[in-house]
Amino acid sequence: MLRYTLGRLGVGLAQLFVVATGVFVLTEALPGDAAVVAAGDVPDPARIAAIRHALGLDLPPWDRYVGWLGDLAAGDLGTSLVTGRPVADVLGQAIAPTAVLAGVTLAVLLPLSLLLGVLAALKEGGRLDRAISAVTVALHAVPEYALAVLLVAVFALWLGVLPATAVGGSLTETPVLLVLPVTVLAARSAASLVRLVRAGMVDALASEYVAHVRRHGLAPWRVVLRHALPNALVPAVQQLARTVDWLFGGIVVVEAVFAVPGLAAAIVDAVSGRDIPVVQAATVLVGAVVICVNLAADLAAHRLTPRAGVAR
Amino acid sequence: MVAGALVAVPTLVAVAGPLLAPLTTAQRGIAYWSGPGYPLGTDSLGRDVLGLVLRGGASVLLLAATASLVAYALGALVGLAAAGTRRRWLDELLMRPLDVLLAVPALLVLLLVASLTDRGVGMVVVVVAVVNTPAIARLIRAATLDAVRRPAAEAMLLQGEPRWRVYAVFVAREVARPLLADAGTRLTTAVYLVGAANFLGVGLPPGSADWAVLVDRNRAGLLLQPWAVLAPAILIVALTVGMNLLADDLTRRRR
Repeated sequence: MLRYTLGRLGVGLAQLFVVATGVFVLTEALPGDAAVVAAGDVPDPARIAAIRHALGLDLPPWDRYVGWLGDLAAGDLGTSLVTGRPVADVLGQAIAPTAVLAGVTLAVLLPLSLLLGVLAALKEGGRLDRAISAVTVALHAVPEYALAVLLVAVFALWLGVLPATAVGGSLTETPVLLVLPVTVLAARSAASLVRLVRAGMVDALASEYVAHVRRHGLAPWRVVLRHALPNALVPAVQQLARTVDWLFGGIVVVEAVFAVPGLAAAIVDAVSGRDIPVVQAATVLVGAVVICVNLAADLAAHRLTPRAGVAR
Repeated sequence: MVAGALVAVPTLVAVAGPLLAPLTTAQRGIAYWSGPGYPLGTDSLGRDVLGLVLRGGASVLLLAATASLVAYALGALVGLAAAGTRRRWLDELLMRPLDVLLAVPALLVLLLVASLTDRGVGMVVVVVAVVNTPAIARLIRAATLDAVRRPAAEAMLLQGEPRWRVYAVFVAREVARPLLADAGTRLTTAVYLVGAANFLGVGLPPGSADWAVLVDRNRAGLLLQPWAVLAPAILIVALTVGMNLLADDLTRRRR
């Protein structure tokens, strides 16, 4: 386990290094001068020169690359071109609402997909299974912005039971604000998770060892929860890590639709304001989160699969 | 059946819509207004929503299809090169960078590029294509490696058939099967990403008649004139849900 953990940690660090390098290379390689782009509507030579200096574009590429990596490693994310504030402040302030949104979504998503997946597998081929399967297949990759406005129209406009946006409210103090955003976020991610849990459970329930446990006369719920489920979980845990990618994409759109002042809203603002250092830092930050989640998922999957430990 | 209808209606609107659009009211009215001459009311700029919806589907389908085609071309190139080479380092060099691309959320790559260069439709299509490439390249590489190791392919090679003929006649047909099964998923991903880019305002200009742009631009008027948002949103949801169901059906039948 220790050897696997260390090896996997090394891979994660290498990935992070490549992401940081990729962001730098992309900034270099794309046509157009970042300083001119950042100057935007005021292409005044003095301002362009100032931005060029602020971005360090007057230095040779190699120096800039080493500087960029060094600053990142030291936790210095640079300064915003628009407000002049440290990027760490800009992003740090926005993280809380996004963390609440992501946390609550995961807290809803996990039990829900486990429950639906297990139920569908237990009634394999039945009416409930077909209904769950049809709904989860249908919801896969439905754009959040369209789904969100439909839900807002039904629940906020016609039924009037839920708020349409999160404007002016705090997500933690008024949890009802979270209902629609979390529903939209969970809908898309739940689809693939439910299908994987279902497939894993169907396989596990048909396996020799579950039949063996059954013959020993264990209570049915114990067979399902204690013996079949853990083996069905491995692919689901890894898929969960993949859904973090989707979840982020969803959060970008959902924060825009429901006016949540979170990390993604800050990134979209920075993109429209051409605030390049903020976007760069945010990309590396989100990349780091995704890498960490995948790392954790792989470690969890390794821990959950005793076979892999023996094989080593 | 349901899936077919769900795909057919938005596709029909997208294809035939531009032909019918001239029949709708061209004159600008009051913003977010509904009344005679405007069956679905007006949008934030006072334009007829029905006309906009009829014109707005073509770009959704066209951009997604273009991005998918480019992605398949790139993916085939990389995947076949990685599978066909006898040099392991070239295989690694081609496939490893693609793994990293999977570590950063697709929408974030799109936003990063949008902040660095000139935004616009071309940029969105290229980024969506590149983001979709790794999955396709992997699939093609795996399927090709699988196919060339089949006895039939080996027999062809032993009989002295040239390599390109084995690839063109046998491997291409074997690879087409998993590729077709996956195509629906790729297309929905492209529709999703292109739409999200347009919704976030980094793709088409804000005044465009495009379903995703319409949803974004008219959100503020949801309480006043809901159809300006709902009509394009319903069409997008119907299209993607239908495509999902069709793709699932296709995969199951091919299995």
